Amino acid sequence: MNFDSVPFPLDTSFQLWLTVFGSATLIVLIVSLLATVASLGSRGLGVFANELGAMLGDFVSISPRRVFALAQLTFREAYRRKALMVFVVFAILLMFAGWFLTSSNLQPEFQVKVYVSFVLRALSWLVLPVVLLLACWGIPEDIRLRSMHTVVTKPARRLEIVLGRMLGFSFIGLLVLTAMATVGGFWIRRQLPAEAQAQLICRQPISGELSFRDREGNDKDEQGEALKQGINVGDIWLFHSFIEGATKARAVWTFDDVGPDVLDAEGNLLLENRFQAFRSHKGDMKRSIYFQYIFFNPETGVRAPYDLKTVEENRGRTDRIPRKFASVSGTGGITDRKTYDLIEDLVTKNGQLTVEVACVDPGQYLGMARPDLFIRTTDLPFESGYIKAVVCIALMLLVVTFIGVSVSTFVKGPVATFLTFVIVIVSYSARDFMGTIIGDPDALAKAKQYSGMQEMKKLDGGGVLESIYRILTHMNPTTELPAGPATAVMKTIDTGMVNFLWLVYRILPNFDYFTKSQLYVANGFDVPFNPSVLGCLMITLAYFIPCVILGYFALRVRELEAK
Amino acid sequence: MNNLTSQQRKFVYLGAILLLLIPIIALGMPSDGTPNSGGSIARLRQKLDLGESDLGDLDPSGAAMNLALLGLRGVAANILWMKVDEQRNQKDWAELRITTDSIIRLQPHFEKVWEYNGWNMAYNVSSEWDAVPDRYFWVKEGGKFMQRGVERNRRSSYLRWYVGRIYGPKIGLSDEARYFRRYFRQDPDPRFKNGPDPEFNANDEDNYLVAKRWFQEANDAEANGARQNIMDRSIFRSYPARSQLDYAAVLYKYGFNEEYDREVGDRTLTNDEAKALEVRVREKLKEDTRAAWALGLDDWTRRYGQELFSVEYLPGVIVQMRLEMSEDELQNLGKTPEGIAQLRRAVDQYQKMNNYRYWRTRALCESETNTAEAHWSLFAAGEEYLKQNTAEAQEFAEKSMELFEKTLEKYPELRDEDNFVEEALKSVLIWNKVLNLRGTKPPETFPLKSLWDAKQAMVPEIERRFERDSRSKN
Repeated sequence: MNFDSVPFPLDTSFQLWLTVFGSATLIVLIVSLLATVASLGSRGLGVFANELGAMLGDFVSISPRRVFALAQLTFREAYRRKALMVFVVFAILLMFAGWFLTSSNLQPEFQVKVYVSFVLRALSWLVLPVVLLLACWGIPEDIRLRSMHTVVTKPARRLEIVLGRMLGFSFIGLLVLTAMATVGGFWIRRQLPAEAQAQLICRQPISGELSFRDREGNDKDEQGEALKQGINVGDIWLFHSFIEGATKARAVWTFDDVGPDVLDAEGNLLLENRFQAFRSHKGDMKRSIYFQYIFFNPETGVRAPYDLKTVEENRGRTDRIPRKFASVSGTGGITDRKTYDLIEDLVTKNGQLTVEVACVDPGQYLGMARPDLFIRTTDLPFESGYIKAVVCIALMLLVVTFIGVSVSTFVKGPVATFLTFVIVIVSYSARDFMGTIIGDPDALAKAKQYSGMQEMKKLDGGGVLESIYRILTHMNPTTELPAGPATAVMKTIDTGMVNFLWLVYRILPNFDYFTKSQLYVANGFDVPFNPSVLGCLMITLAYFIPCVILGYFALRVRELEAK
Repeated sequence: MNNLTSQQRKFVYLGAILLLLIPIIALGMPSDGTPNSGGSIARLRQKLDLGESDLGDLDPSGAAMNLALLGLRGVAANILWMKVDEQRNQKDWAELRITTDSIIRLQPHFEKVWEYNGWNMAYNVSSEWDAVPDRYFWVKEGGKFMQRGVERNRRSSYLRWYVGRIYGPKIGLSDEARYFRRYFRQDPDPRFKNGPDPEFNANDEDNYLVAKRWFQEANDAEANGARQNIMDRSIFRSYPARSQLDYAAVLYKYGFNEEYDREVGDRTLTNDEAKALEVRVREKLKEDTRAAWALGLDDWTRRYGQELFSVEYLPGVIVQMRLEMSEDELQNLGKTPEGIAQLRRAVDQYQKMNNYRYWRTRALCESETNTAEAHWSLFAAGEEYLKQNTAEAQEFAEKSMELFEKTLEKYPELRDEDNFVEEALKSVLIWNKVLNLRGTKPPETFPLKSLWDAKQAMVPEIERRFERDSRSKN
């Protein structure tokens, strides 16, 4: 599994958000201005300015009391619509979950994964449709039943209606989620077989940076670039890179900020790995492949090999390295035995620890990726990660609520439901694919792992029209199109469509951050604040502001008499 | 219609509903369990044994899932299959196991689903693990999964055959066979306290004997009308007997160590006790292997060999034949001279296709006391050689050579059979090594000399294998 936790890119994300939000706002303002001027002539300029002023006025004169009152109203309404019935479905699911979950034959860590994933998935997939339906039907129903009239004739402003709705639906969603998460947490503790209970923990890893050395011991490739990959042994998913046994090939991890504080209570350094093994010949089948940690201090040149260990493939193993350990090195029968202090002798002055990993068995290979070796600090209780994962689910619910309420201000209930549903489903399933079409670096990096680690670029063959043309004329994607006005027109339209796709891609929420938090806790890791919780929080905020503005704008210009 | 009042329209609708109910009831009325009850579809279902309960055990959770999916079962199953593929590539085994279970809940009577996913676990997933106990775990998972498939599809011959394949060749013939066979009766999972996993080997039997039972069940199901499209029928039906023969053959290879270790258990033996136990185990296995080969011969010639096969010998020419046919039977079944000639050729071809004559001769020869004695003397020679007990090793090797020579004199066709020849040559090889250790020059003539001279090309490979096996024993 890929648990690589790359920090949330706060600055670039904010810049991107500003670009998308700013451009979209600008486009709306220009279109509105042009439409007003076109319909009212020069008088339209004044009307537009007045409207803009009034809108800004609404923003500065929000009454929290009114917003809260509207939120209360929304909550009561949702309660009357039996939104809480979702509890019953959840209870039934938990009662019969044992039927659907796999047998207790699986290894304890796998059983934890099965139970935790089930509860977290049930939480998100049960509450999500409820809040989606409530959010999408609230305002359209108010308009249809004319109850909106009684509200707008009161001092309540339309901005407050939108905010009140969002707040109310969010509150009921969070209430349902909190109750279900509490029951789910107890259910996991109670239902999980006794032998797996010990695995119900949250590891706190300190990750390092990974580089490689090839079988000749070179740490740079022919172009002088640092080696970031080892050997490809033919896996389809090229997440892991391999090093050859009994050669100078090494996987080198560099950990920062290593000091006595990362050691456990007994003064051991806990190194946990999830290495893969690949055998090119049967070898000794009685044991797994051997590997060795070699601690290296680049400042002093000290290299301290540690004892041989066997790979525990697909399970992971934790090695306790004592602060003071005896290291035996040497070749040709001449051995040198020395005792090293891990912190004093092997950590550099600026707190950097370099761990080289070697595969010992000749002809066999050891596979790894950056998150496959980490320093394990004190474990947190399972509930710590579980709560964070639930918080991330809650934030996802908020995003869906914001989108649903916002969409429901300009279309009717069924259309709003369909549109929000499509946004959620496409964001979940097709966002990465769209990213590869428009050439988004993140999506291309993900796709790279499935492409033999070749650098990915935008798909060949052009856009829709160009592709159709190439298919009909049996022209391969690398052949240049014949020059001429038709080609220019085709390419222009295609570019426009790809740009539109770029906008859609950017507008769709990136649910990766929300779902990945569940993976962490299901696999026995704590959910890191950065990127998971921070990422989810930022995405939620990023959707809150435009959704409120869009909802308010749409409700303000909407004719409430039109059912 | 527009001229009708609202009430009249409602009556028209009611009439239409009642009218439509007649064919619906006639077609879809459920059966009350008695023969010929219910509508046409229910009767047809009874006739063709297509009711859920006729096909196999009922799975309420699967039925619940199917109902909840409102007819989107196919779509859901497709998505799950794609997920399984992705999870396998990403080595996400826990999720793979759950997704696989979800698929079979959606498609419990689609045998291919059981076969594909069971095979996937037993062969593909197991090979992704480096530790042999982990590999064995996934072989078991695959086998258990397929057995659940059989419970859901009681009439299937196809799935039973695949279960037999996992118990037989997967455990007994893979690279890890030495360990898998041991784990089959002494599971590495501490929960089973050094015994077998009761879900996988309830009666603590040899894997080939369990496989034989599954293959026999597959044959029975096939005889009851469950079609199989895996292979030619004559090969398909040979598997129970082949399993018995494989069981007999594998006793030579792994039987001693497995039996000895089971006997020792957690005890620590003195040298004398160990030696006495070795002799006792060898004597027991000598009789066990001979009896296993005798039963194999019986299964091969009297059961499998007597089965009647209807084969299309030439396009449009169908002949009834048995693999074991006397001249009288040939005459009776062939009837005309042309028919007899065709039948003779067909029998010959099918015997070649199934390697029938080889196994018959092998089983016949191995079921003799002398041959069993030859094999176990060879085994004892190897063991004593490894312990550097040269006098005993020489004695056993010479005994083995003499017995092998007698057997080859009686069954000269075995001189061209590599496995048997390898055993015979190994006895000479060990004898040579022992003489070398003792500083004695081999005499000019010795038993098996003609075979030794004729098959010199095989000797280096046999020696390499002998050295490798010796190293692994040490």
